[in-house]
Amino acid sequence: MRKRVAAGILLALIVASLLTVWTSKYGYAYQDREAAMAPATAQHWTGTDTLGRDRTVRVAAALLIGLTGAAAAAAITTAIAAAVGLLAAFSPAPVASVLMFVSDVFLSLPWLFLLMMARSLMPLTASPMQMALITFLVLAALGWPDCARAIYSGARELRSAEWMIQGRASGLRTGQLVRLHVVPHLRPLLLPQFLICVPAFIVAEANLGALGLGIGEPVPSWGAMLMELDNSALLAQSHWVYLPIVLLVLVLLLLETFTIEESHA
Amino acid sequence: MNRAKGFLRRAGRTLLLMLFVAAGTILLVRFAPGFFADEREMDAKYATSARNELQAAGAQTLSQIAVREVKGWAHGDFGESRQYEVPVTELIVPRIQVSAWLLLRGIFYGWLLALCTALPVSAVRRGAALWGIPFTLLLATPTAALATACILAETGGPVLVLALLIAAREFKFLLNALRGTWSAPHLLQGRAQGLPLSALIRVHILPGVAPQLYALATLSLVTALGALVPIEVIFNVPGLGQLAWSAVINRDLPVLVAVSLLMACAIGVAGMLSGQKQTLEAAA
Repeated sequence: MRKRVAAGILLALIVASLLTVWTSKYGYAYQDREAAMAPATAQHWTGTDTLGRDRTVRVAAALLIGLTGAAAAAAITTAIAAAVGLLAAFSPAPVASVLMFVSDVFLSLPWLFLLMMARSLMPLTASPMQMALITFLVLAALGWPDCARAIYSGARELRSAEWMIQGRASGLRTGQLVRLHVVPHLRPLLLPQFLICVPAFIVAEANLGALGLGIGEPVPSWGAMLMELDNSALLAQSHWVYLPIVLLVLVLLLLETFTIEESHA
Repeated sequence: MNRAKGFLRRAGRTLLLMLFVAAGTILLVRFAPGFFADEREMDAKYATSARNELQAAGAQTLSQIAVREVKGWAHGDFGESRQYEVPVTELIVPRIQVSAWLLLRGIFYGWLLALCTALPVSAVRRGAALWGIPFTLLLATPTAALATACILAETGGPVLVLALLIAAREFKFLLNALRGTWSAPHLLQGRAQGLPLSALIRVHILPGVAPQLYALATLSLVTALGALVPIEVIFNVPGLGQLAWSAVINRDLPVLVAVSLLMACAIGVAGMLSGQKQTLEAAA
């Protein structure tokens, strides 16, 4: 029940954001210098920022970019994790040890620190959209080790299942066994791993952005919008500055509710 | 004998992990765009010497860099910071104390808060979800946002943010671990015998979940170390997190490698100790 409510609200938010971005006459980068920090009006429902950009459009675009990027990165990370976990589970012990050791190397550094390090070493002259792509690719490239460990232990358990032994005795090759038996059985494990990654990546992007290492301006992102909160003069002028953080927490709560319910299902 | 062997194996693994972390960091930074750039190149007075130095540095292979770095570490020399132009050790040592004190207090208060809430909540049959709401809300708030909110509200500081983050992460794990223990037969007997609540918690409940708590403690450290960067940057705390952030922004390889090594060492040693503790518990 809670899962359906969470999914419904999330879907409504996505649809509303899409409509806002598509139907608004202001683009997310359009600057109306005459209306900088304007209050909420009929033209700008939630006012404008310091550069006169429509806040509603920017928040809606940040929600869409954040969700799409995080979901795509989560899909890539789950695919990498599945490949590494399955390879380790169905390879000889030395190969499995090496693969798990590599994942341990990634896990031996705090996630945000690792992200920050990798993200800061990317090209300096990339466009804002390329920066957004790089940020989510870095998230995807570094998020797999935890997930791979879970898939590895799940696949190892399956390897000694009776129906697997029968499949092997019937002459099925390892590739066929993995495709026909293991992957379908691992689906209940892969979906929660994917769902766990989505909010984690959104939070990571927001934290990176708040440190000045996230998606660059003028592309709107949660992290860049959190930086607005550092300016106390802005906060005194308009309460709409809090809108991004309120919406971000709401989206994360909905995603977590959905993930928890899905994991328990 | 077996215990010593196990300990040595774990120590060897931790050391190997650290070496790989260092190698990975060197590799990443060495190929980062802008690594072979020096602001002195803009100054006509120093441009030639800076360019010569960079050329010499660029001619070094990865293995040469790695060998030079490891040799330096063996002598306690972590090189010189590119941005501050002082030995890395001088930069790091005073900051370790600041960060360690922050981590210690943050983790302690976080655990205290999580444990004090999870213990009574795990005993009640209804309303546990209601108690979990503040922790779920905290979990859904990015660290940077939580720190900014504290500054805006002029309440609390880095320790409070770290403690809230740790409490939010550990509450659910602790609740799940503790929930089963209340209905365990030995605890029911203890309650039937009239043992006071404090004795039940001290003698039966906490020792029962101890192995899980040790594993959780390692995770707490990883979480806290990760949160250290945004917390120290936003609250302007002169600790390792802030140093790491400025090293990342300025591509300061020696500092970055030293901080990475320190973090990997802290996590490795904590993991090793929690593993050792669990083995000892199992043996007992």
